[in-house]
Amino acid sequence: MSLLTINGLEKTFKHGSTEEKILKGIDLDLSKGDMTALVGASGSGKSTLLTIAAGLQEATGGEIIFDSENLTALDDEQVREIRAKRFGFVFQQAHLVPFLTVQEQLELMLDTAELKWSKEERRQEIEDILEKVEMQHHRDSYPDSLSGGEKQRVAIARAVIHQPEILFADEPTASLDSKRSKEVMRLLTSLTKESSITVLMVTHDESALEYADYTVQMKDGLIEYPG
Amino acid sequence: MKMAWQEIMKSKTRYLILGAIIFLISLLTMIISGLANGLSYDNASLIKELPAGTFYMEEEAEGQYNFSSLDGETMEEVETVSSEVMFLSIQMGEIEDADEKRHSVAFVSTANNDYFPSIETGGLVLDASIMEEGITAGDGVTNGMLDHSLTVDEFVEHQKFSHAPVAFINHDDFQRMYSTDDFQLAFIPGDEAPHMDGYNQFTNDEFLDTLPSYSAEQLSLNMIVVFLFVISGMLFGIFFYMINVQKIATYGILKAVGVKTSKLFKMMWVQMFIITVIALLLSVAISQLVGIVMPEGMPFLLTIDSASMMSLVFLVIGFIGSTASGIQISKVEPMQAINQGGI
Repeated sequence: MSLLTINGLEKTFKHGSTEEKILKGIDLDLSKGDMTALVGASGSGKSTLLTIAAGLQEATGGEIIFDSENLTALDDEQVREIRAKRFGFVFQQAHLVPFLTVQEQLELMLDTAELKWSKEERRQEIEDILEKVEMQHHRDSYPDSLSGGEKQRVAIARAVIHQPEILFADEPTASLDSKRSKEVMRLLTSLTKESSITVLMVTHDESALEYADYTVQMKDGLIEYPG
Repeated sequence: MKMAWQEIMKSKTRYLILGAIIFLISLLTMIISGLANGLSYDNASLIKELPAGTFYMEEEAEGQYNFSSLDGETMEEVETVSSEVMFLSIQMGEIEDADEKRHSVAFVSTANNDYFPSIETGGLVLDASIMEEGITAGDGVTNGMLDHSLTVDEFVEHQKFSHAPVAFINHDDFQRMYSTDDFQLAFIPGDEAPHMDGYNQFTNDEFLDTLPSYSAEQLSLNMIVVFLFVISGMLFGIFFYMINVQKIATYGILKAVGVKTSKLFKMMWVQMFIITVIALLLSVAISQLVGIVMPEGMPFLLTIDSASMMSLVFLVIGFIGSTASGIQISKVEPMQAINQGGI
């Protein structure tokens, strides 16, 4: 069952009087619970595709249908609400809030998603996710005292704690060594499969592809189909 | 609220510096304002201690009370308009004590008076500040324009005019000194201010503004206070701008995960409120302490009411300054943060 459908997506950037077309009409379907990896050379448009699909940038043309709703027709506040409640994000850098402890990062996400959970449910969910990402002993630590791998584990916990329907991951292992990359990918896969979260992931890391259900190759703003 | 406080606690030095600057500038503003009020009070407590009312001055005097003259006929006319009218004359002069030491005073003579002491002929009631110059009750003092001496009956508090102690004098003695039976001014207390042909009307504050030394002095001091408010507003704006610039990546990522822009503004306002209130409480406390320890010769007056009003103005300025600088928050794009890297 298709959760997110992209039809004829286009994106053009203007640099002064010149225009550069980054996406030239992308069609893509993401099914519920699947992990799709976007691969391709730098400049192929994969990160642009991910950020537009995630509602972080506007498209120049085409449409994005999420759960029967046309994201490209919604206003900024409606898109923000979808991002807060139904999307999750993991970036190349962890991008944790520097003045919040690990536990507070998770609480912030629950507040932002405006979930109607009881205090006990919130506490339990935080406990569970901290245990899954093995960060329960760092609950009161600030980001500046964590290693790169630890930060990324917290970022993954933050991205899934509100049980989003889609997780957008932009090169989640790019800043990690191969050992940490595998750990992070295993964690990402187990957490998303467990809750049937659909994942759209951009990666350059070939080892990350083994966790993906589908791999989509991009070249020059278009999807390159085999054969 | 919680997130705002968490950030203050995590970045103590940054907010301590901001708080220290707000504290210093608000303290400076309050001290200058206290000195301005003190000087103003020292200059004109004779008028400031009167209830609100209306002063009448001869039109031909063109706003200079010492050129005004209300003759007997006019005074009767004014009395028919209001039974509460008081007449008064003020002349700068001097008295000489037994040691032939001269003291500047403002001679004040009144009629129909409910607000100032009544003086018998040959008597004198002086502002208490002159006691510091060695004059005591019962002393005899002279004035070159009088053929008899005057006896100091008693002292009264807070009666100064043009920075000189007021000397309340009987009108007969005043008449002998200045060769005029007329009064310069009529004063009707309260809101009732009937129009009288040939006379200009002034409220208490308007009358004070007709005194050249008073208006020039107050204008300069008030300009300093206004500039301090403007500067503090700019400082608020600049500091919050700098803090916001440093936090653009954080704002961007918070927006990316769906935090409302209004929540980010609320966070900034709460931080501004917490820092400003703490700084202002310290400023008010210290400025009150300054008022207590200030030497007598340095008039200082800052009531809790005026300090509170100034604090309110600072809060409003802080709100405007931080909001203006925070406009950049609404312009932050999540993509900026993602592309910038971060923690």
